[in-house]
Amino acid sequence: MNLSLTVNGAAVTVEADGADTLLMVLRDRLRLTGTKEGCTEGECGACTVLVDGVPVDSCILAAHSAAGSEVQTVEGLADRGGALSPIQQAFIDNFSVQCGFCTPGFLMTLTALIAEDPTPEEEWVKAAVSGNLCRCTGYTTIVDAVMAATGQEVAR
Amino acid sequence: MTTAVGNSFIRPDAEPKVRGEAVYGVDFEIGGTLHAALVRSNVASGRIRSIDSDAASAMPGVRLVATAADAPKILSGLALNDQPLFASEVVRFEGEPIAAVVADTLVQARAAAAAVVVDIDPLPVVATVDDGVADGAPLVHEDWASYQVAPGHPDWPRYGNVCSEVVVDEAGVDEAFAAADVIVEDEFRADRQYQAYLEPKSATGMWESGRYTVHASHQYHWSIRNRTSAALGVKPSDVRVIGHYMGGGFGAKLDVGLEPYAALLARLTGFPVKMINERSEDMITCNSRDGGVIRVRSGLSKDGKIVAREYLVDMDAGAYAGDTVYLTSIPVYVADGPYATGPTRVRARAVYTNTTPTGAFRGVSGTYLYFALERHTDNLANAVGMDRRAFRLRNVLEDGHEMLNGQVLDDSGLLKEVFEAVDELAPWETLGKGPNQGVGIAATVWLTNPLPGSATLRLEPDGTLIVVTGAAEIGTGAVVLGVRQIAAQELGMDPANVTTTMPDTDVQGFDGGAQGSRTTHIVGRAVTEAAVGMRERVFQQAAKLLGAAPDELELRDDGVGVSGDPGRRVTLGEVAGAAMFDGGPITSSGSYGTPAIKYDPDRATGLLFSTFPTPTYHVHVAEVEVDPDTGGVTVLRYLVAQEVGKTISPAGLMGQIQGGVAQGLGYALWETIQIGDDGKYRQRTLESYRLPIALDVPRVEVVVLEHPVDTGPYGAKGAAEPPIVPVAAVIGNAIADATGGPITRIPITPEDVLDALKHEKGTR
Ligand code: FES
Ligand code: FES
Repeated sequence: MNLSLTVNGAAVTVEADGADTLLMVLRDRLRLTGTKEGCTEGECGACTVLVDGVPVDSCILAAHSAAGSEVQTVEGLADRGGALSPIQQAFIDNFSVQCGFCTPGFLMTLTALIAEDPTPEEEWVKAAVSGNLCRCTGYTTIVDAVMAATGQEVAR
Repeated sequence: MTTAVGNSFIRPDAEPKVRGEAVYGVDFEIGGTLHAALVRSNVASGRIRSIDSDAASAMPGVRLVATAADAPKILSGLALNDQPLFASEVVRFEGEPIAAVVADTLVQARAAAAAVVVDIDPLPVVATVDDGVADGAPLVHEDWASYQVAPGHPDWPRYGNVCSEVVVDEAGVDEAFAAADVIVEDEFRADRQYQAYLEPKSATGMWESGRYTVHASHQYHWSIRNRTSAALGVKPSDVRVIGHYMGGGFGAKLDVGLEPYAALLARLTGFPVKMINERSEDMITCNSRDGGVIRVRSGLSKDGKIVAREYLVDMDAGAYAGDTVYLTSIPVYVADGPYATGPTRVRARAVYTNTTPTGAFRGVSGTYLYFALERHTDNLANAVGMDRRAFRLRNVLEDGHEMLNGQVLDDSGLLKEVFEAVDELAPWETLGKGPNQGVGIAATVWLTNPLPGSATLRLEPDGTLIVVTGAAEIGTGAVVLGVRQIAAQELGMDPANVTTTMPDTDVQGFDGGAQGSRTTHIVGRAVTEAAVGMRERVFQQAAKLLGAAPDELELRDDGVGVSGDPGRRVTLGEVAGAAMFDGGPITSSGSYGTPAIKYDPDRATGLLFSTFPTPTYHVHVAEVEVDPDTGGVTVLRYLVAQEVGKTISPAGLMGQIQGGVAQGLGYALWETIQIGDDGKYRQRTLESYRLPIALDVPRVEVVVLEHPVDTGPYGAKGAAEPPIVPVAAVIGNAIADATGGPITRIPITPEDVLDALKHEKGTR
């Protein structure tokens, strides 16, 4: 069955059967391996992408339910010239990346958060990422990155 | 210029990671790759009657179904050769591999693996260590006595279900107890903890002209090489292991996982074979932190001195010995730990059970051994009516402490300074005073892993330096920050001009893996060794270019200049370029491993970790509040004082402390694997396995102490592993203080908190 959608601004049509998830389409068909698969249970958030601007766990989303949607992945965060988005740059500057396997998922969740609330409070940032697990950092540097990216004072 | 050592520099691997460009083990794939899935036992103990793969073999895309009949008849293991690749007669744990299916796609392989029918007659299950050491317990391994130790190991005491036993029995223990004014006895228990790295285990195997290549995202590539070659019956050099970005390991990716299977299946099919664990499969079969039972008894004098100690530990090895043979040594170093104790007796046993083999997780058994020790220390203080911090300072180590292995710690008096330093963050008397609040304190003495490593430096004509090392960057920054900054400092360079490599066992010298905080200390030191030769060559070449004597020269801003003459300078790139046709490329290699440490081999039996190298000192304090209605625990403040020798990267160090404490909070309060009477895990997905989320973790307050050690690069000791070690102890002590009741188990559940609240204050 053909599936048509927009991924990072480009219209694509791929073969996908009814059991395929959006994550399988992104990683296996479109070779966009920046989006990670941590659990396939909707628990870790590593597979988070934006579907029409809303963060979703792509590992449990039927690919066909994204038909006609705008999907954004971590590969689509930098601008066309390759310049990093503010939250990407802030992750680098604030040491928010250790192993980095959770990073794409956090970046997508936080991109949506900042679009909705340009100056989120710390507690609200923590709540927003409650569906994203990070085993390495203990989360504070990730919160710091959001503060820095939104021009707020970094607590550290 | 900002010095490279001691300042925070951006991680060069952060950009590919935030762009989604970094290729992890699960992402790596080359043309022609087939995919495989394992058929695993669905019971914890049984005898295999038959394996029927006819239906599976006929399914779409299936290339091969392999069983024990297709693998070499070899038992192998980390220290004890007790484990086959595939079970053929008996299965000893739920999840034990029985067969493997190779197919064109992963979906096909998994579907066909599910269609292999294995008929197993159930056998009695040894579910717990108590079951395992009970009189008349069924033997998990009928043939235990015939097992050989792996090459390079002396054998050690083992019998029946006890696969390793370590004993220390100092003279006069019973007499010291008889003379004590007060005796306190406690028992503590800890559940297993799953490492829960975000990237599931994976491996890709290849077979070319009689050699195996394994692509891995792993902590210890030389261990894969050794263990894969041993399991497949070939020489270590017949296996090449190539590293990729890795999504966390925390100890679980030190021993082999899927690698020998992927290698074997590549040989059997003639194609590259890739394997990835599903999350639930990963969790159920992961070499998690072992659970244990600790019984500790101490004698005290009226004036609050510890005069006698007995420390008995049973650790759950699971169905195969694995790491636990080493980990039984750890209680010898924790039984007294931060305090002088008088005559001491230690017995530590690792016990086979019909459960998933356990293994290394950051801090290993130290996490629960310190929980037991420091909970017990609180009870000792209370028994003699002393303040808990004052009691600790009364018994804290002085310089020159002799450990139970006879090793003497020159700098153990540092602990007292660490106690004082943490108090500067927040005075002890001021914490935990509100309603339902409590405060806990615990100290830890931890080690730096001594295994050797090496580095080759290459100075390039474009002015960059490449550090060629087999050290694995597992996310901590030990390579991309620690080793890289040390190399930059040694050559007077900006770290931005220094790159590091990924492990490849065909290319670099041995590396002892990302474990025990060793990378910055050991490989950093190897870099300083290599830099000596490189500087000599650089100065010789630069002397010719500058028309000066080598001893007039100094390293300056990525170049070499004449001392006291700012105008006369050449760049390192120019030096490397000139050298190319005047002696050849500038390279220099260095190696380092911790020198042998003096100890007394007659003090202990079975002690495979015979010494405790390059010790570090730690004191943590936590303030908590318990909810008397729900039993929930909120960590209000968490304070860390840590002695590191010398900080190489402040940002890297802080990341390790914050992250280690977060893992420790998960261990203390939420994470658990419970095991049923059937030997099966009760928590089987990340939904039921409760990991810390951002809302759970406070911002850790840190004071770093620096007493440089001669052996380390710039004085640096290990720093990354220990921040997890005292956390459960501190949290347990704080909750006991808040509730007034006994806290004896990890994790400390809301039910435990509510039970503790029913006790009267003072009986804790
Ligand atoms: S992979 Fe989708 S939530 Fe974990
Ligand atoms: S950086 Fe490793 S899981 Fe977040």
